Amino acid sequence: MAKVLCVTSGKGGVGKTTTTAALGAALAQAGEKVCVVDFDVGLRNLDLIMGAERRVVYDLINVTNGDAKLPQALIRDKRLENLSLLPASQTRDKDALTDEGVERVMGELREKFDWIVCDSPAGIERGAQLAMRHADVAVVVTNPEVSSVRDSDRIIGLLDSKTVRAERGDSIEKHLILTRFDPARADRGDMLKVDDVLEILSIPLLAIIPESLEVLRASNVGCPVTLNNPLCAPSRAYIDAVRRLKGETVPMAIPSDRKSLINKLFTRRAA
Amino acid sequence: MSVLTFLKPRGSGSVARERLQLILAHERVENGRPDLIITLREEILNVIAKHVTVERDKVQIKLDRGEGVSTLGVDIEFPVDAVLNQKPKAKRASA
Amino acid sequence: MPGNSCPVRLKINPPVTIPAVNGRVGKETSTPVTSPAPTRPSLPLRGRVFRAVSLAPEAPLADWLALLDAALKRSATLFDDRAVILDVAGLKAAPSELESLIAELSARKLRILGIEGADAPLPALLPPRLVGGRPAGDAFEAPAFEEEKPGVSSLTIEGSVRSGQSIVHREGDVTVMGSVSSGAEILAGGSIHVYGALRGRAIAGAARNPRARIYCRKFEPELLGIDRLVRTAEDMGTHLRGQAVQIWNDGGAIRIAALG
Repeated sequence: MAKVLCVTSGKGGVGKTTTTAALGAALAQAGEKVCVVDFDVGLRNLDLIMGAERRVVYDLINVTNGDAKLPQALIRDKRLENLSLLPASQTRDKDALTDEGVERVMGELREKFDWIVCDSPAGIERGAQLAMRHADVAVVVTNPEVSSVRDSDRIIGLLDSKTVRAERGDSIEKHLILTRFDPARADRGDMLKVDDVLEILSIPLLAIIPESLEVLRASNVGCPVTLNNPLCAPSRAYIDAVRRLKGETVPMAIPSDRKSLINKLFTRRAA
Repeated sequence: MSVLTFLKPRGSGSVARERLQLILAHERVENGRPDLIITLREEILNVIAKHVTVERDKVQIKLDRGEGVSTLGVDIEFPVDAVLNQKPKAKRASA
Repeated sequence: MPGNSCPVRLKINPPVTIPAVNGRVGKETSTPVTSPAPTRPSLPLRGRVFRAVSLAPEAPLADWLALLDAALKRSATLFDDRAVILDVAGLKAAPSELESLIAELSARKLRILGIEGADAPLPALLPPRLVGGRPAGDAFEAPAFEEEKPGVSSLTIEGSVRSGQSIVHREGDVTVMGSVSSGAEILAGGSIHVYGALRGRAIAGAARNPRARIYCRKFEPELLGIDRLVRTAEDMGTHLRGQAVQIWNDGGAIRIAALG
């Protein structure tokens, strides 16, 4: 059974696209057939992070409009053969993306792939609502920062009301990914604690992604971080997240300050 | 600067700069001519259909934006008997 | 490969030169538009859809008019400036009776936009006939003709109330089993009970009920109100923040005390 996973946040700039690419690549490396879909309208990001920007011919709106068939629009990743990308449109306005069109495309994608990872745009308007509409699983990306947490809360409310699953009376699986976690700031007490964020948002924690130069490097070269450097701390956290999404129980590693030698020797484990 | 920095491979920052320069140069031009590729594809298909029956799905159009030039690749697969049984010109409607 | 399929692969690959310009493209190219054929000027007619309130009088008319008067007494402006349709399907009235009914309604300041449910054409003096009406939810809150007081009921929310969500329940108490997030709001006719953290806005006693109270397990609100008395977070001080409290209106002042 294909699974549709929506990566959303409300707030912009918290790491949705990075997370979409990282989770998509990690799922593909684990043997799944994956398609990552960019739901933004007018701005295109996922293709750059995936390194496919030079090969985009057709986009999601071309497919929903009927200008192109889905196989023509899908861009196969050059590094992982079971990973594909459906890019966003740069030239249309938000009303061009229709409910019926998206529903039809999602149906076609479910037939071809095991996982469909939808990169939501920021905000709560049309693009964000369409990205979540057909999701079976939602990953809410949050920074440990007040406006990000409040926006994530808003998005969780929408997940519980505006999705097909919610309208049917089914529940949608919701997970929290905490990104840009800075262990030094956490130690000093300058950052919202993980427990505070969990208490406010009340959804299960999928992963804590530490702030890292590797994420920037990966996007600079156009490769998902889990593929560019699978051993770095953010990649390991994303790979653990994928294992949890697939049903495995993996102990949660809280990123620690790299400077501490003791911490390098032992990974702290939290249930 | 130490020897190590000298020997280190080029930083990702310069890769990013090159990628951006290339793609933005193409996008600035393409925004003046939206759907160029789509138009080209449809017209190529129509031209081919005038002479040979070919399934639309068997025509792949690929684009690769490169330094100073873009490469448009058109890949068409049609069975040999289609070549042998070409359509008589009288029947073809104009595109 | 089966059959006589020996595919020929035709690869057309001339480089299509799309020059990489450093500056922006000058003018925007636009597709030429063919000029439309000239037409004779004609009267524009459009279809439009509006929502209206439908009144359906029932025999005996005197009793129905008494009901209407009672509703107008409770709320004199109920039909002011509203589009009102008269549904006479249940009446089977002759045109003259309809005329006197319209006159009675005009006397009560009701302007009838149209008449639906009439099976014969109507005299020109009456409002026009309407067909094809469809139900359209509430044009406004339906006036309760029967009771003076709306029923009392309590609303329980099993999860949390998330930022941006708004719960309005004028008929009684509201109980939230989870938390009320910052940016969420609850308006209750009665009391409000929050078994988690109250971080948003809560107004209790909105149905003119100054004896309503607000209870919560963790006190971190943005705004509170009992009946018409409202306080923001700034006015409330910080000494009870994070604790389980109850909030009530004590003779015109909002009081907060820790729950035991």
